[in-house]
Amino acid sequence: MSVADVLWRFPSALMAWRNLGRNRVRTGLAALGIVIGVIAIASLGMAGAAIQQQATTDLGGLASEVTVSAGEDSEQDGLTDDQVAEMRAIAGDAPVVPQKSNATRLTSRSGEEVFVSVTAVEQANVLYNVTTGDSPDRLESGALISASTAEQLGLEIGDPVEYDGRLYRIRGLIGSSQGFGGGGNELVLPLSALSDQQYYDSVTIEASDGDQATAISDGLEERFNEGDEEVISVTNFAGVQDNIDSFLNTLNLALLGIGSISLVVASVAILNVMLMSTIERRGEIGVLRAVGIRRGEVLRMILTEAAFLGVIGGFLGALVSLGVGMLMFDLIADDALLVFGWSSFRYLFYGFGFAVFASLLSGLYPAWKAANDRPVDALRG
Amino acid sequence: MNVIELEDVVKRYRSGEEIIEALKGVDFQADRGEMVTVIGPSGSGKSTMLNIIGLLDTPTEGTVRLDGRNVTDFSEDELTEERRSGIGFVFQDFHLLPMLTATENVELPSMWDTSVDRHDRAIDLLERVGLGDRLEHTPKQLSGGQKQRVAIARALINEPDILLADEPTGNLDQDTGETILEELTRLKEEEDVAIVAVTHDEQMLQYTDSTVRIVDGVIQEVVPA
Ligand SMILES: Nc1ncnc2c1ncn2[C@@H]1O[C@H](COP(=O)(O)OP(=O)(O)OP(=O)(O)O)[C@@H](O)[C@H]1O
Ligand SMILES: [Mg+2]
Repeated sequence: MSVADVLWRFPSALMAWRNLGRNRVRTGLAALGIVIGVIAIASLGMAGAAIQQQATTDLGGLASEVTVSAGEDSEQDGLTDDQVAEMRAIAGDAPVVPQKSNATRLTSRSGEEVFVSVTAVEQANVLYNVTTGDSPDRLESGALISASTAEQLGLEIGDPVEYDGRLYRIRGLIGSSQGFGGGGNELVLPLSALSDQQYYDSVTIEASDGDQATAISDGLEERFNEGDEEVISVTNFAGVQDNIDSFLNTLNLALLGIGSISLVVASVAILNVMLMSTIERRGEIGVLRAVGIRRGEVLRMILTEAAFLGVIGGFLGALVSLGVGMLMFDLIADDALLVFGWSSFRYLFYGFGFAVFASLLSGLYPAWKAANDRPVDALRG
Repeated sequence: MNVIELEDVVKRYRSGEEIIEALKGVDFQADRGEMVTVIGPSGSGKSTMLNIIGLLDTPTEGTVRLDGRNVTDFSEDELTEERRSGIGFVFQDFHLLPMLTATENVELPSMWDTSVDRHDRAIDLLERVGLGDRLEHTPKQLSGGQKQRVAIARALINEPDILLADEPTGNLDQDTGETILEELTRLKEEEDVAIVAVTHDEQMLQYTDSTVRIVDGVIQEVVPA
């Protein structure tokens, strides 16, 4: 059974298909207009999705992080063990990581000096992203050091660093740290290294998401700070994340808006093509009406033509957009296959849907006009 | 009973300020198995009358009856149904659809009708007008006379009561015109249709059962054969 045999059961489709085949150049150009429109709308949508996805990955750790330090009205210069215990109660299952900090100067064998900030912490794996070596959840001996600092000083895993007269063996190298403040020179030591310091300088609480972080912040404020007092100072960036999200949404809408304009232009092109071809075929359509083809049937035939243009153009456009999307994700997120995630893949459907919808919309007027032309007038030409 | 009946039909056209009276009270009838030829000078109203009989146009005044039914005030959709089931058209310049084959062109009037399959009848009609070996040809691959025979087959596909032809031989040479007229005469008997044909072609008068002459929108004489 050939394509024509199947189409023969759907006369509007058969006639539409043959009509489009009559002027292939014109059909091709009309479809090309749609292809470009779909590429514009789908690629810009996917670009927005790629940027958003990458931004969320980059900032994700930051938004769910709550940082606590001693406030202006604190009785002591830092946070006490009791306070940390209370924070643990409020934070529930989110890890609460108290830290002591200091700064020191490290000297390389060649005599080069580097200033590093020293953090003493037990649950180092929560705070630091160790790229080589191990990432201890209980740091009791040894040290972690920023990869860049290690390189500067010519240090490797297993080498000793000296702090406060004691030697610590390097266990792991830290990549760029999560959130802000990354990329500095950092030395991470067990809490025992700073045991002469009685209080914790800060406490980091890692919530599972921005909402939990906000809830924990509110809980801490309520428990520790009465009225205008500031016994502890609580910082979290969930609000920043919201701002960034809303900015990205706006960016996305703007990109889609630009894409839609090109689809509007494509629709006008289809309108023009459909109008021209129905005007050219006025006599023919008059013959159809004269031999008893109903108005609705003529309407369907011409709408089917427009729909075919939309489907062909939309499909090709979606196909090309998929390629463009893979390229973009490869560039922005280093993984071309992320394009198949629904948050970006859906733009291919949107583009295709818009193409069919816009084509039908632009076919409506020419179809209506042709169907309602009086057959005598159409035949006279 | 006459399958076509016009009673006191007036058709006026308004073009700008001017009103043209193309038909000034025309009475006309034709019956199945009968071929009536309409002659008259250019601009006398022949095509106008044919369009009114064919329900392509409506009269300004007067009555149109098909098979005894008054169809004068039918809506456009009702007129379309009447044309589909009861009327076939043959035009001077054939008006075949270029992207369809001969068979598809003949099937065209019944194409959207899923209740009947006219494919076999289309082939039968094409064979009867001598185009059994041209079924899959497109209009571009056919001569003028062959095209007009396809058009005649198309006009008969839905088994109409009426076949209307506006100068069917106007674009054909003498000999080809003659074979078309022979074809029409034979099919008129076989299919039992009323044929109304407008013509300037003198040889047509040999084949006709009666002739009507229109001058300036008025029927002047009826010449029975
Ligand atoms: N749509 C129209 N608008 C205005 N005037 C019209 C229209 N159609 C026909 N006429 C006028 O009506 C008159 C009759 O026209 P018609 O086409 O019936 O003539 P005809 O007898 O078929 O002529 P011909 O032999 O040249 O085909 C003419 O004067 C023509 O100008
Ligand atoms: Mg005429």
